[in-house]
Amino acid sequence: MNEVSSIREKFSVEFVKEELLRTAYGNGDTFLARLDPRALIYWYLFFGIAPWFIHNKMILSGLLVFMVVTTVMARTSPLIIIILCTGLLGEIAFLFFISLFFGGGFESVLPMFWLTVKLAVISLASITVFSSMDPERFGDALLSMGLPSQVSFSIAFGYRTLPTLMEEFHQIFLSYRLRGKAPDSHGFLYWRSIVYFMKILVVSFYPLLLNGAKRSRTTVEALETKGFSYAATDSKVKKMKISYMSFKWSDYGFLTASFLYVVVVFWLGSVVQI
Amino acid sequence: MRSKPLIELENVTFTYPGVEVPVLTDVTLSINEGDFTAIIGGNGSGKSTLCKTFNGLIPQFYVGEFEGRVIANGLLAEDQTVAQLSKNIGYVYQDFDNQLLRPTVIDDVCFTPLNYGLQDHKERGEWALKVTGLEDLRDEFIWQLSGGQKHLLALAGALAMKPKILVIDEPIAQLDPQHAKRIYDILRNLNIEYGMTIIVIEHHTEFIANYCREVILMDKGRVLWKKTTKEALSRVAELMKHQIYPPQVTQAAQRLGIDMGKDDLYPTTLDEAITHFTQQAPSYKELRKHEPLHEEVKLRHQPIIQFQEVSLQYRTLKKTVKHALTDINISCYEGDLITLVGNNGAGKSSLIKLITGIMRPSQGDVLIQGINTRKATPEKLSDFVSYVYQKPEEMFIDDSVRKDIEYYLKARKVQDYEVLVEKLLEDFSLVDIQHQDGRLLSGGQQRRASLAIGAAMNPSIILLDEPTANLDIATKKHMVHMLNKLRKHVKLVIVATHDMQLVSEWANRVIVMNQGRIMCDGDKHTVFGNNVLMEQAGLVPPQILQLSQRLKMEVPCHTVEEFITIWDQEGANLERSIEYT
Amino acid sequence: MTKKKPYELTQSQKMMVFVLSMSLYGLSNMFTELLPSVKLGFLELSVEYFAFIPLTLCILFHPLYAAIGASLGEIIFGELMLGQFGGIGEVEKFITFSLGMYIAGILVRNPLNRMQVSVAVMSGLLVHHLLALMVDIGKVWVGVEELEAVPGLAESIVLIEGVAFLNDLLFSGILFALLPTLYLVPRLYGKIEPLLGMKPRNNKVQYSLGEIVTPKLVIVGVILAAIAVVAEFMSEADMNIAEWEFDFLGMFGDSFIWVVIGAAAFIASLTIWIMRRKAKDQKQIWGVHHEE
Repeated sequence: MNEVSSIREKFSVEFVKEELLRTAYGNGDTFLARLDPRALIYWYLFFGIAPWFIHNKMILSGLLVFMVVTTVMARTSPLIIIILCTGLLGEIAFLFFISLFFGGGFESVLPMFWLTVKLAVISLASITVFSSMDPERFGDALLSMGLPSQVSFSIAFGYRTLPTLMEEFHQIFLSYRLRGKAPDSHGFLYWRSIVYFMKILVVSFYPLLLNGAKRSRTTVEALETKGFSYAATDSKVKKMKISYMSFKWSDYGFLTASFLYVVVVFWLGSVVQI
Repeated sequence: MRSKPLIELENVTFTYPGVEVPVLTDVTLSINEGDFTAIIGGNGSGKSTLCKTFNGLIPQFYVGEFEGRVIANGLLAEDQTVAQLSKNIGYVYQDFDNQLLRPTVIDDVCFTPLNYGLQDHKERGEWALKVTGLEDLRDEFIWQLSGGQKHLLALAGALAMKPKILVIDEPIAQLDPQHAKRIYDILRNLNIEYGMTIIVIEHHTEFIANYCREVILMDKGRVLWKKTTKEALSRVAELMKHQIYPPQVTQAAQRLGIDMGKDDLYPTTLDEAITHFTQQAPSYKELRKHEPLHEEVKLRHQPIIQFQEVSLQYRTLKKTVKHALTDINISCYEGDLITLVGNNGAGKSSLIKLITGIMRPSQGDVLIQGINTRKATPEKLSDFVSYVYQKPEEMFIDDSVRKDIEYYLKARKVQDYEVLVEKLLEDFSLVDIQHQDGRLLSGGQQRRASLAIGAAMNPSIILLDEPTANLDIATKKHMVHMLNKLRKHVKLVIVATHDMQLVSEWANRVIVMNQGRIMCDGDKHTVFGNNVLMEQAGLVPPQILQLSQRLKMEVPCHTVEEFITIWDQEGANLERSIEYT
Repeated sequence: MTKKKPYELTQSQKMMVFVLSMSLYGLSNMFTELLPSVKLGFLELSVEYFAFIPLTLCILFHPLYAAIGASLGEIIFGELMLGQFGGIGEVEKFITFSLGMYIAGILVRNPLNRMQVSVAVMSGLLVHHLLALMVDIGKVWVGVEELEAVPGLAESIVLIEGVAFLNDLLFSGILFALLPTLYLVPRLYGKIEPLLGMKPRNNKVQYSLGEIVTPKLVIVGVILAAIAVVAEFMSEADMNIAEWEFDFLGMFGDSFIWVVIGAAAFIASLTIWIMRRKAKDQKQIWGVHHEE
């Protein structure tokens, strides 16, 4: 019983809630976070797309090393890295298992391995960029790139409203628990408990939808009284919103260093074969 | 009056679509520049609707049938958009949490001026933070703020436009007394220093008496009158008829016939009351001393709840440890009616959550009827404990009040649960609304429904978080009545509250908390009698109690009735002692 | 502004639907991202998503705003905030998911008709998953250099993706999209609308066609194209998996990649164009006055 309850405590809604908040808001003050968001987006546009079309193993390895370094620089939350790793490794293992049935063997894993490396480079690039970018700065960067102001508002609003929503969800979830009845036994492989919790998880959205409707009405009403629609008619406002962003030496330095590194890796790739 | 009208309504009538009765009927009204006006009226009298016509939300955002004219700040409202009108009219909602739209404090406060393309939006934001005293929090995330701070921020957000008119819907509904006073001090400062016209929708007449200059009374969508504060609040009988309770001192003065020299004007603030009551009873101090009343000592058997050396810490996002509770040792017994008091963030909610088993202590043990909460699931503990949340919406999980009450009973397959449900519906006056969704009810009905849901769990212990917050005073009285009914159903009630009148009228045990510690555990006499303690915990005793203390009456009076009885007694004693000499 | 259309929302009401859909679906997405999945051999019992939230909202309100709101919510909460935003890859998800939800929404004319709701939900899911399936297989095909050289690899991938598709559609689809939607829609119909200050969707009056024609055309076009590609794909795959791979590359060479990218870019720019046009409309509306 004790072990069970300690596991339960570890994986309680409270725990997940805290972990999520920590991930979402604990960006900290890293070198990358201080860069101009647009610089990071340009950087990402290369490292997020180019690997798809690179088949040279040396270059891919070089890029992977670089991405690991930037991910460390971004001080990404371990939770995210774990999710990423289990996802990637799980997939490759499963694929290996299946391909055994089709007469394949270890050799079928190899090309998949390089695909995984590719995916890892791409995922790490996005983790680097988007976990170190302040959400609002990202929104403003998108605004400066011409997306509608609703998008950039929504991003910022998402960050503002998440804790409130979680709190409310948690309370409702507890309402179901405190007034409901957990299954007497956990069942084989905990299936009864899993079904019990999944069911609560789903039905919790009934009150949440209704409460959310009330809430979003006030939100939109407040948007109106705060002149948000007024801003949409005025291009001057948009300029003011993004005026704080500017390229500094550190931005040019970061992009140049990345560029030089890529040049070296490509050169290595043409010389050394793995 | 001394200056020009800023807001003028002419024969305004408004009806929501699909509803027969208009919410506003033929309202004609003007509010002058520089006024500090309170709008009062019972629940559903149309106060908020009225204020939403000022900035065009009605009829532009809330569509419906609209007649009449609104002129705000010299502009005909129907010719302007909500956004244009809002430039000069700041509006702070009752639901302040949902009008904070940006992730950080500074960002939220600059949002409005930025939207209007004002070059000095940063300066305006900083200024608004300074006026509201939030400078230190400028870089915090919104969700890290306490309720009181959020409320101040919502105010700051409206101020940043430096509007000519500021409308605030129930500025202090969910605040502890210290925060409430702070908000009103800020409003007064804005009104005097910056000449801002301020309109509040308010139930707390004691604050109206201290801060507002004019009062508008509304009933059923009509404006009944507009008077100066003193005249308005002195009309005790009329106000009571409209479910509004004048300040306790005014009630007492009116009933004892202590006026202010002129007919029908009574003292409305504590200071005035002290002056006038003292004049009426000059030899008061020489009166015979009464023994303070003591509640009978209860027989105490086995405690129902025991906290043994309990502490609770959690890590914040910045990885620092926050001590929510420290060294809590208490026992609660059958028959206890406990109020937990202390300002926002004192640890009241944490204490309650430990009892439900939702949270477990970091150190020490919590025993509920001998069961250690570490070893039981919240589902198990809910056999004895029921927890009524502060926000009733979060308790409505089914689609009608009746089904919500049944939910627990059905889940546990209780035999003949219908009998209990019928009884509860009756007890909590819910029969007529049993098939409606809880969310669509009025504030008072929602509270009653949430109490009934709690009681349906047939608990030994019932925990209530702020059961009287956001209610008008009449509904609150009803609520206290309901709480008394609850005593029949349960062994032990614990209420976390800011409401000192609830403490003095209902509780038999008061636990004062501050910064995660228990500062005092006694009855209302020991708590209210200890000024140092009250000060430290940020509590303000009921006005009538303050009056009796300041008049040096030996028996502290906790209710207006007590005060009147004792005053009459003292008066009689006084006469008798004069006869003897 | 033409008034008195059978079902038309004001701009603010559309924004409310958008905000509601975004925040709630976003929240649910954070949970599903973190819920562990159970693998039983071929069958992966994972909760892909709580599609019932946008489905319900699409059926009850304005489908376009609910659909786009949900997709954006997923990106913001499920990806950006968890620091696992997939960048370009998300664009594809955004489009396929919004499309699926939108289609489900416009198919329903009477929210109280269970049959109609079920058909709509399953069609919406089908569109979304089919498009996603194609993209997924396409990714491996672009990403792995010598796919055809390894025995069993291509078959495995098609099998895995196929099973995942069926799982998404039939397992998660029924359990976490169809059933909850059937539970929620009738309960919320007529109840949630007043909370947003609007009238319920009239189940007798036909949807105003003028409003949906343009996006509908786009959608039908995309679906047809998608079905065409899948059909092509499948017929080739049936004959000889190793060969189609070879043939395709042989025919178009590496340059075929650019065709794919071109198509993606086309769809992306189309979306952005539509969104910007919408934004412009909005500006006009907000600038002058509200509808109604």
